[in-house]
Amino acid sequence: MDYVHLRRQAASLRKGLFDQGYLDEQFYQLEDLQDDASPNFVEEVVTLFFRDSARLMANIDQALDKCVKDFNKLDVYMQQLKGSCTSIGASRMKTDCSAFRECCRDENIEGCMRSFQKIKREHSVLRQKLESYFQLLRQAGPVECATRPNK
Amino acid sequence: MRVQEGINSMAGADQFPIGMRVLAVDDDPVCLKLLENLLLRCQYHVTTTNQAVEALKLLRENKDRFDLVISDVIMPDMDGFKLLELVGLEMDLPVIMLSGNGGTENVMKGITHGACDYLLKPVRLEELKNIWQHVVRRKFRHRERNTNLSTEDPEFDKLPNSNPSHAQGQHGQNSSSDNSGRYSKKRKDQNEPEEEDGEDNGYDNEEPDPSAQKKPRVVWSVELHRKFVAAVNQLGIDKAVPKRILELMNVEKLTRENVASHLQKYRLYLKRLSAVASQQASLAAAFGARDPSSYLRMGMFEGLQSYHPLASSSQIPSSLTSFQATGGPLLNRSNPATLGLPGLSPSLSNNSLSSNPLNELNKFQLVNLPGNSNHANLLHDQLPSELSFSNVTNNALLPQTSQDCMQPRQSAVAATSFHAKPITFENRCLTKAENQSLEIPSSSNDIFLGRDIKCQSSIFNEESKLLSFGGASQNNTKLQWRQDDLHESTLLLSSYLDSQLPNNSCNTMADPVTIAATGSGMVQGLNGGVFNQREGVATSGIIGSSISGLTAMTNHDSQLKQREEYNLGVQKVQGGYGSNGCSMDGLLNSVIKMERDDISYSDGDIGCDLYPLGACM
Repeated sequence: MDYVHLRRQAASLRKGLFDQGYLDEQFYQLEDLQDDASPNFVEEVVTLFFRDSARLMANIDQALDKCVKDFNKLDVYMQQLKGSCTSIGASRMKTDCSAFRECCRDENIEGCMRSFQKIKREHSVLRQKLESYFQLLRQAGPVECATRPNK
Repeated sequence: MRVQEGINSMAGADQFPIGMRVLAVDDDPVCLKLLENLLLRCQYHVTTTNQAVEALKLLRENKDRFDLVISDVIMPDMDGFKLLELVGLEMDLPVIMLSGNGGTENVMKGITHGACDYLLKPVRLEELKNIWQHVVRRKFRHRERNTNLSTEDPEFDKLPNSNPSHAQGQHGQNSSSDNSGRYSKKRKDQNEPEEEDGEDNGYDNEEPDPSAQKKPRVVWSVELHRKFVAAVNQLGIDKAVPKRILELMNVEKLTRENVASHLQKYRLYLKRLSAVASQQASLAAAFGARDPSSYLRMGMFEGLQSYHPLASSSQIPSSLTSFQATGGPLLNRSNPATLGLPGLSPSLSNNSLSSNPLNELNKFQLVNLPGNSNHANLLHDQLPSELSFSNVTNNALLPQTSQDCMQPRQSAVAATSFHAKPITFENRCLTKAENQSLEIPSSSNDIFLGRDIKCQSSIFNEESKLLSFGGASQNNTKLQWRQDDLHESTLLLSSYLDSQLPNNSCNTMADPVTIAATGSGMVQGLNGGVFNQREGVATSGIIGSSISGLTAMTNHDSQLKQREEYNLGVQKVQGGYGSNGCSMDGLLNSVIKMERDDISYSDGDIGCDLYPLGACM
């Protein structure tokens, strides 16, 4: 296998994520925490993130569907989601979450829905990209990990 | 597991902060995992849970198992602030809050509830690398407080492990309230783990540990206490070390440990007083749109200062003055509040206390305490104008303890009701009574006194008597019996302060009170519970008894009470309060109210730490 190529691809994908604002410095922190003791830390956290965020988003979906307009509840959910996004450095999603919360504060249900659609899209895109990224990493082999800065 | 942890901790202790045992709580699995790894990276020993309830359970199982708690603010099963309070109350551990929301209000809330620190998500490694300082700081504070006490304690110096076992025990005593305003908890904690106590003075033990041997209980009689206070005053509260005090007192068969433990209590008491005082002051200020946080911290001191003017009673022994100076023991002579009887003032005059609570108090004493004439006299002699404060000062222990307790609430309470008397103890964590004392004023003078009495009484005995009558208005029924027991009650009180368990003698007395207290639902009366006005615990007449009663109650309550109760109590008090002119009550009420709304526990250490009362949990 062309490890070098794969690694380069992974690196490029990663860079793209940062450049395009999908990820921010917080992601570096995650990477920093990956070491011999937890060799797959980043991937584990990211996986956890997507799982948990999917759950939260389902809750939000449900709440929005009910059309009850319980803005407080929506806000709470979104706050949780935002917290998660912040933790892994999902920058774009974080921004969208903030926008959603603003709509909640304004009690703008339409705005909330639109905002939420955007969040879902971003979520999906990010997931796709990160999955590709990790896959490349795995394919590229452990060497790839070693090259990443570790504390 | 325990063993394992123990070993780890032992190792950790030597290499602190490496190996520091952290409990991380966050409902967000992503954050939790991240936090866990960050903490591991800092070489801490980490336990995680995503449920606050689970966290509490772990903490309760073994108080020594952790050195620090980090918790998210927003959690589904329990509010982070609530957890913070509980941890502070029960375990006296430093708690760091985590949140995605860094708004000033939230941060303030965290601090007032007793958080040692408030971190914003996403948490950074650099920040976590420094969190060990909170553990050290807390220990240091505790250590300072207990300097005279357990220096021999072999465990004392062990960081942080030793701290929990020892300090917690200790804290239980003097500073359970130390941080985060643990209310009565202290006593409770103290007694629970340590029980033993055979040590010295009827108070409970400070240290459960091996160094404390069973000694015949020393009963801190009025006389003895007076000597003690005199010695403390002579040395200066800051310089008062058990050894010197012992020398000055020159009492046979009194050991350094006895004195040390008594001193501890006294300090708490003084703290409490000053806390109350400051609370009042702060409350007053608050009304003036003062920054609420100021109460917590400054309340005490400010209160103290404000009280100066009140210090009409010249009688105040120098000790009082010295206390004032220190800002701790608050007892402002002049202020009845300082006496810790926030209620006193109010009760005394039922009108503005400012006038001369002490005098009134005095009168009151005399009048009310028929049975305790001795005591009353004592008090009277001691402080003609100041009710028991002077005694209080003597009983510096109390205030000091209160300091430890510095409960935000207290100050609040003090602030409110106290006319202007800085009920220092309010702020201070009236360790045991603290909470209560605060409440006392608010609810009724009687109660207030009762409370104070509690706190104070422990020290003063005599004072307690006076204190109790503060409440006067309320029913004294229970207290009535006190009178006879006054003496006992005083003892009770004293011991009360230290130990949650009332002395035997007190028990008798306390019972009614306890009953009253519990009956009325007063919150632990002393602890934070407010005396029920209905109960009239404090009934004026019975000061002595009330004190004991209070103590009893407090003990009783304290153990139970949690902040909530306190608040409840407070509320009640507030309701009942109304009538008295005493500002204190009002102050207390407001304080209590404030507290209620915003349970601000600042770290117990008012003296040392700016953290608002309760703090550090």
